[in-house]
Amino acid sequence: MVKNNKNQIKRSMLAMILPIRALAKRGLAGWLVLIGAAITAAIVIMTLFSPVIVPHDPTQINVRPPPGNPSPPSSQFPLGTDDVGRDMLSRVIAGGGVMLQVAIVSVLACVAIGVPLGLFSSHTGGLVDKFVSLIMDSIYAFPGLILAIAIALVLGRGVVNMALSITVVYIPSYFRVIRSQVLSIKELPYVEAANAAGARKRTVLLRYILPNVLPSIVVVATVNFADAILTAAGLTFIGMGVPPNVADWGWDLSNGQKLLASGSWWVITFSGIMIILLALGFSLMGEGLSELLNPRLEKEGE
Amino acid sequence: MRSAKAISRVVIAVVLIVVILIVGVVGYYLASPPATVKETLLMGTTDSVESCLDPARAYDFFGFEIIQSLGSPLVEYKPGATGAASDIQPALANTWSSSSDGLTWTFNLRQGVFYDDGSEFTADSVKYTFDRGIQIADPDGAWVGIGIDGIINSVEVVSKYVVKFNLKIPFAAFLSLIAGQECYIVDPKYAPKAGDAWSVNDVVVYQDGNPRGSNPMGLGPYTLANWTRVAGKDTAMRLEANPRYWGNSSGLPKTKTIVVNFYTSGSGLALAMTAGDVDIAFRQLATTDINNMKTNANLKVWEAAGPFIQYLCMQQKNAPFNNVNIRKAVAAAINRTALVQTVFQGDAQPLYSMIPTGMMGNTNAFQSVGDPNYTLTQELLGAEGYSESNKFTFTLWYETSGHYPQSQQQALVLQDSLQKSGLITVNLEGRDWAAYRTARQEEIMPAYILGWYPDYIDPDDYIQPFVSSTGGSWIHHNYASTQMDQLVEQARSSTDATARANLYTQINNLMVQDVPIIPLYMGNQFAVSKTNVQGIYLDITQNWRNWLVYAQG
Amino acid sequence: MTLRTYIISRILLTIPMIFILLTTVFVVMRVLPGDPVLLHFEKSENLEAMNRLRVALGLDQPLWLQYVNYIFGLFRGDLGKSMQDFSPVAQQVFSAFPATLELAIYSMIIAGVLGVILGVVASKSYNKPKDHIIRVFGIVTYAIPVFFLGMLFQLGFGVGLHWLPVGNRFDMSLSPPAGLNIGNLHLATGLYTIDSILEGNMFKFVTSFKYLLLPSLTLGLVLCGVFIRLTRSNMFETLRLDFVTAAKARGLKDSTVTYGYALRNAFLPVLTMMGLQFAMLLGGAVLTETTFSWPGLGSYLIARINFRDYTAIQGTVVVFGILVSIVSLIVDILYAYLDPRIRL
Repeated sequence: MVKNNKNQIKRSMLAMILPIRALAKRGLAGWLVLIGAAITAAIVIMTLFSPVIVPHDPTQINVRPPPGNPSPPSSQFPLGTDDVGRDMLSRVIAGGGVMLQVAIVSVLACVAIGVPLGLFSSHTGGLVDKFVSLIMDSIYAFPGLILAIAIALVLGRGVVNMALSITVVYIPSYFRVIRSQVLSIKELPYVEAANAAGARKRTVLLRYILPNVLPSIVVVATVNFADAILTAAGLTFIGMGVPPNVADWGWDLSNGQKLLASGSWWVITFSGIMIILLALGFSLMGEGLSELLNPRLEKEGE
Repeated sequence: MRSAKAISRVVIAVVLIVVILIVGVVGYYLASPPATVKETLLMGTTDSVESCLDPARAYDFFGFEIIQSLGSPLVEYKPGATGAASDIQPALANTWSSSSDGLTWTFNLRQGVFYDDGSEFTADSVKYTFDRGIQIADPDGAWVGIGIDGIINSVEVVSKYVVKFNLKIPFAAFLSLIAGQECYIVDPKYAPKAGDAWSVNDVVVYQDGNPRGSNPMGLGPYTLANWTRVAGKDTAMRLEANPRYWGNSSGLPKTKTIVVNFYTSGSGLALAMTAGDVDIAFRQLATTDINNMKTNANLKVWEAAGPFIQYLCMQQKNAPFNNVNIRKAVAAAINRTALVQTVFQGDAQPLYSMIPTGMMGNTNAFQSVGDPNYTLTQELLGAEGYSESNKFTFTLWYETSGHYPQSQQQALVLQDSLQKSGLITVNLEGRDWAAYRTARQEEIMPAYILGWYPDYIDPDDYIQPFVSSTGGSWIHHNYASTQMDQLVEQARSSTDATARANLYTQINNLMVQDVPIIPLYMGNQFAVSKTNVQGIYLDITQNWRNWLVYAQG
Repeated sequence: MTLRTYIISRILLTIPMIFILLTTVFVVMRVLPGDPVLLHFEKSENLEAMNRLRVALGLDQPLWLQYVNYIFGLFRGDLGKSMQDFSPVAQQVFSAFPATLELAIYSMIIAGVLGVILGVVASKSYNKPKDHIIRVFGIVTYAIPVFFLGMLFQLGFGVGLHWLPVGNRFDMSLSPPAGLNIGNLHLATGLYTIDSILEGNMFKFVTSFKYLLLPSLTLGLVLCGVFIRLTRSNMFETLRLDFVTAAKARGLKDSTVTYGYALRNAFLPVLTMMGLQFAMLLGGAVLTETTFSWPGLGSYLIARINFRDYTAIQGTVVVFGILVSIVSLIVDILYAYLDPRIRL
């Protein structure tokens, strides 16, 4: 019945507002999460609806016919056009899709690989642990973007390959955080008790250790998202991303860089701001969550 | 009341003063020394010597550019040349002649020319240069790349000032070849040979702190006073007038010192030119920067049709491009005007023949296929069974590391114009230059864009390397036609200018029939300078003549 | 475990790490599509000549042999000859290194100084608006892609205001700073700022700073967030310790307390954090160098990757790897010295 539906909607909306209010009460950290989530949600929604809201086809060249491209923001093209006459407003609206896809895939893959690896290695201990840690440290010590570029060069272009290269680079981060968490939890009395009582390794892992490690995973994941966005932008910037007719903010930065000296600032500026906003959204969430879920982590300066 | 006399005295005085003033001012200007030519010119570029300054190996644009300032050839091209035989003028050779069968060329050399150590330039120097070039056979070098040892059989010293070339085949473009930078005469003292067997190790490479030892040239308008490289890139270079240059009597070089400033990006160079940090900017400026500078009253933009062309290749060993109708359909759907307008903002010209405009042999052949002609495209594709619901789809490859100008934009425009036919879908695939080269080698690209700088200025260099089955093997597009091969051979060995022109028309027509390759555009060359700079000649030879450039005041 | 044992074991661990790095680079480069020999033959392809070149570059040998030669060469300190221009890689790498070093040093200084100052200010107004703004600032600067920030600076200070140059390392019309030259004594570091002082040329000193400012500011800003966070939390803890309260009670000025006592505690962690950030710094330097046309190791690497110049790329990565390893080694040893628990 209609009335029930209305009440249900009201209730679910209230349910949404409650956590928001709860978060807002937690001070700066709470606000950081809220604002970060809001920014991210806005961009995601804009990207999802982009096919509908773009004024022009973002991949169509010469929407504004030559000569005179790139042209500055005008009433007809609010954010201007790039050097092949594509509408920048459409490209800004539609340009986040690839990056979001890459980020989501890579984060999921990282969690799926890095978390079990970290749990297993630290729980097993001994030589296995030392060996895996060694490999992880080697990867971690390597400048991330350079490694991602190297892997992308080998694998080739495309969303999946970009995600893969970012995944390889970020697994060590999860690994290290989880490992250090597990090592400290291992010492706790009730875990030792469980072990002494003869509980199977897997039970100990899943029932005791994993729940304690979850908050850290969430925090690392949000930071991972932000880094994945930036790395994806970097990869596309150097041409290792998606084909050039795809709308992507990284491409706009790459194209716009050559136009800077002649004063065509509008090609890189708006897309660059969008990249910053998206990465910022996740970073803010990560900062806030980090403080809320695990106050200890913040002081370690990780 | 003043008397009339007093007034007239005043008037006379005033007139006298005015006259004196005028005479003084005019005299001052007349007596000022005439505007002098500046001693030093600063040139900015993004180029860098890629291999070395040894003509036996050098094969990059900038290397050649500097070799030209440091050495001299037997013959050279006049400024403003279009590639005709009449554009060749004497340099180290005064007169020359060829035998009727075209297999022997004899040159009478200029006398009284000396190297910087005092030894004289003679026929021996010429023989030494060519023997060395052929013997060194640097796999990486111009001599091998151009195939000079396939053309020249031997070089004979007839007398002190007469040298004879014996050729393996009659080669119509021989003078063109001799005028090229790879054939510049070296200084035996600095160009080593090791016993009887010369090798790649005898190539003269960059030596830190020793500019004279870093180049085997001599006899040119300039000497290399300073050359430094860091991490494989040039950081400083200074050319100073050669006191023993054979052209000194004509007042050359006009500018005594040329300092080269190296910039790592086109935008950096553009900024420097706009700020007045350099007198001349040459290579490589982006189209948008050049267009901005055209409207700048403090700068002069020099522009000329260049010999650089780009064209579309298709893999003809398998489907779909082994079918001439499909090749023709694609050729018909190309909009060169859109390409030139969108990507180059008019700083390039549509090209309808592989031979560039202005050179003998150029015709508008491909215009008859379409520019664009979507009706023809639809007809041909329709006959092959394609339709709106079943479009002809292929992947167009292009290179991404800036080896050619604005490749990505070109690909986007081509994609757009082909898709506008309604029956074609184009996917784009970009690779950096190294991977692109490998892909070409492995013949995995259905359609790909390439570019071409000539090795010598002759229509043969725009035909034989592309449509001859032997000469065109490096393109790996697997086109072979006996008829075409015959025409090409005849054209390159014929000594009659009219007959040659005729043959090239036939070749153009055959190309429109077979569509082995599709010419796209011909690039313009640009240089930018301050308004007081003169003497820049941009022509089809791509010769940068430092010795003719000067700035007033 | 004694400190000495820890140091030895740590050094021993570094060797396999570098080894893994070298092998990875070797494999990646060989797997990459693209052949340096091909790139020497632009237009005409002369099979005989190509083979000659392939042999000359050592690329005709089986992969494992190439690998062995590569490793042995490294032990001898021979980085090989570039496959692009046949010049010794070692000479090219070491001539490009000072530029990157100078950029890295100044970026780190800016990041550290800026981070510490902001961190101190933030800690003094804990949880108040000033604190929040500074914390968000740190997050925002980290979220900006370094090349984008660089371009914004170029746009603003270079093209817009014409205050600072937007590319290269030094004014083209001047000769670069040559360092100390007295009689037979030649002392040059390759760092233009220092060499111009050694040369006694203040104009060159100012010029080199003008060119250094934007790139190091870009990189420094992006990196400072970490230092802000670190200093802030350290200061916050320290300021609550007894000896600080005691000092305040004795009437010492607030600034003396802050900078004299508390900051000294934060100093060492910041230094060690710099070491930990070193890898990030090198990665960021590569992007910054390409954005600003800064002629350092990063630009060199990118240029050589385009040409598949195996030896040059391997050489550069090896140098990077060894640098990062040495720095992290020093940092770890320092940590172990300060905190005995880590040695376990």
